[in-house]
Amino acid sequence: MKVLLIVPAYNEALNIEKTIKDITENTDYDYVIINDCSKDNTKEVCEKNGFNMLSLPINYGLTSGIQLGMKYAKKYDYDIAIQFDGDGQHQAKYVKNLVEEIEKGNCNIAIGSRFVTEKKPKSMRMLGSMLLSGAIKLTTGKTIKDPTSGMRAFDKKAINEFCRNASLTPEPDTLVYMLKKQLKIKEVQVEMKDREFGESYLKPIKSIEYMINMFFSIIFIRMITRKNV
Amino acid sequence: MSLTLRIILIVCSLISFLFCVMKIKQAKLKVNNAVIWMIGSVVLILMSIFVNAVEWISVKLGFMAPVNFVFLVLIAFLLIEVFLNNIQISMQNEKIKDLNHYIALKEKEEADKNTK
Repeated sequence: MKVLLIVPAYNEALNIEKTIKDITENTDYDYVIINDCSKDNTKEVCEKNGFNMLSLPINYGLTSGIQLGMKYAKKYDYDIAIQFDGDGQHQAKYVKNLVEEIEKGNCNIAIGSRFVTEKKPKSMRMLGSMLLSGAIKLTTGKTIKDPTSGMRAFDKKAINEFCRNASLTPEPDTLVYMLKKQLKIKEVQVEMKDREFGESYLKPIKSIEYMINMFFSIIFIRMITRKNV
Repeated sequence: MSLTLRIILIVCSLISFLFCVMKIKQAKLKVNNAVIWMIGSVVLILMSIFVNAVEWISVKLGFMAPVNFVFLVLIAFLLIEVFLNNIQISMQNEKIKDLNHYIALKEKEEADKNTK
């Protein structure tokens, strides 16, 4: 199976080399960096190293970046597309486990989850995560222990959904959408590191806005999505 | 409705009507987008000229004062306009995003061609 790692990068000049080295050394999958019009020299770093990169002319956010990755995956006929953060939080050695789950036909979407076997620590972030888990459980009846995990593997069916529906984001509400579309989701235990350099897309001030958006979206998508594909 | 309010309404709607016409002449506003504002200002002029009709309607609908009816019509008109604008912004956002993606994919294709 052809596997593509989508690495969205915004101002990740300090992390990107390490991330790509991690991918190429620990896996034999293809990757594509989505440079979301970084203000630092992310683009130059990638060009210097000859990394496979798509460079957006305007900054349009993470959602747009992932959607572009999905379009790329569809265009070059990849079977599996994996969302993989460029900030060094994700470790490439766990990607194999996600791919295996899909290859075995166990699921359409595999999530690299921090809390399958491990327990959730108690913090504000985890409170948000628990609330989202609860919302997903309420609307779909399925348990997803780590809905905010950024490491997700999508099979062809899910990639097609992404290309067809422009409102899909790389966020928990999309999982609800996919569940409604009768796609199977499975979680695989992974470990994640804390980020070393740079800023995350999710800043603390914005997280309340994020939670409100997610709740509305989960409830709304649940109402408008039809069951049959 | 008091005479002062009627005069203000007439003057304001005339000004906005003329402003629309001027902007269309300068081709800064597309005719499609200006039509709604022209209709709006014409309706406002009509409402301030034919006060009796407005009074009759507002009594029938149970308004405390005719001027409330005028304001309600204006607010409804503005809300609809804002909502339609919002839809248009969303659509344009999508289009810009698609263009953004298209450029990125095209550039990549070109770059790949050059290296081969």
